[in-house]
Amino acid sequence: MKQQKPQNSSQRSFVEKVSLTISLSIVSLIVVLVCYTWFTGDNNPPVLSVVTATEIREIEQQYYVPFTVSNSGGMTAESVEVTAKLILKNGDIETGRQQMDFLSRQEQRNGEFIFGSNPKQGKLTVRVASYRLP
Amino acid sequence: MRKQNNNSQPNIRGDGWRGEIEEIISGASGGFLFGIPLLYTMEVWFIGSYVQPPVLLCILGVTFVIILLLNRIEGFRPQESETLFGAIAETFETIAIGMTCAMLMLVILQRIDVQTPLTEILGKIVFEGVPFSLGVAFSRSLLSGDAEVSFKNRNQTESRYSGKHKIIWQDTLADFVATLIGALFIAFSIAPTDEVVVLAASASPLWLLIIIAASMLISYGIVFAASFTNYSERRQQQGLFQSPQSETALSYLISLVAGLLMLWFFQKVSLNDPWFIWLRYGIVLSLPASIGGAAGRLAV
Repeated sequence: MKQQKPQNSSQRSFVEKVSLTISLSIVSLIVVLVCYTWFTGDNNPPVLSVVTATEIREIEQQYYVPFTVSNSGGMTAESVEVTAKLILKNGDIETGRQQMDFLSRQEQRNGEFIFGSNPKQGKLTVRVASYRLP
Repeated sequence: MRKQNNNSQPNIRGDGWRGEIEEIISGASGGFLFGIPLLYTMEVWFIGSYVQPPVLLCILGVTFVIILLLNRIEGFRPQESETLFGAIAETFETIAIGMTCAMLMLVILQRIDVQTPLTEILGKIVFEGVPFSLGVAFSRSLLSGDAEVSFKNRNQTESRYSGKHKIIWQDTLADFVATLIGALFIAFSIAPTDEVVVLAASASPLWLLIIIAASMLISYGIVFAASFTNYSERRQQQGLFQSPQSETALSYLISLVAGLLMLWFFQKVSLNDPWFIWLRYGIVLSLPASIGGAAGRLAV
């Protein structure tokens, strides 16, 4: 059964004008910000880097090495893979791998690699191994 | 279905702040119902993370046109706009409500925070805001339904019973079942997904409390603050769900327990897991479950 809804025969009330003004402001803000990111954004490919913190946590004979991976490029990177390799003085090797779903431009993500030996007693290499474009 | 001339809804233009707020809450409640399932979809967050600004503008434009067309026959306001300008104005309001609700939920679920880049924030808000905005436009159809008719029928049925206790338990049972069915309807498809685990993993105790508060607030908004049910009619109802506060609290507990059972059913939690895992996952799932439960009670 289709029924006509009541017609709005009057002008918008003051309250409705306030609602409309706020709504217009919100939608306009979103559009302006999208345009801003469009015009100021660069379309350069992702530039990924990773740094490790100097403070290493030791808990129950495991060594936690914090790292921060960041994307200073213009585009988002998908499936960012960070690898770590610890070569000890006795020749033993420990490795770690971490994958992040997405890394937007100017975004940073933190994590930790966990080793069974003290990284300070060997050579630790942490690098971004790969990514793909979404 | 065109907007109906519903005499139980007193919101005519010029009613003032109360009527306006009721209409906005009605619209927002529809948005939550329609948008929550996609809010718990990881793929939508990911799309929002990488989509380019021109695409976002196109999506906003297409959404605007679709909602403008919807507003010619539907819309969250009970009054029909005479002019195209009126429909355009309602479309702006619809999108603003949808985007604002989506942004609030993304903040509550910690999908956006102060460290999130602007492009990602906008992408997520726009992508999650589209289903919320459609839900706002559909809110009257989604939630007004035949609630009033059902209430009247039940009140007539109730008059046949003389025992007060029987009515109380009948009402309580009806609300309990309605909450359970609504919670199952919305949360059953969310419970087996990894999103619950991901969201629970990133939620601190404070954020879990915020999620609980949001669940109860939205649930309250859908049933009582929104104008598509008659508040006084629900107040006349008997049973343990009698007052809005107790109804909201009880329904939340039912949704929480229903959510936990669903998680257990889908093997997301086991009896070997510690209690706080159950609690965390349960609270995260209780948000969509309580919204579904609130919608279910509207149908009673």
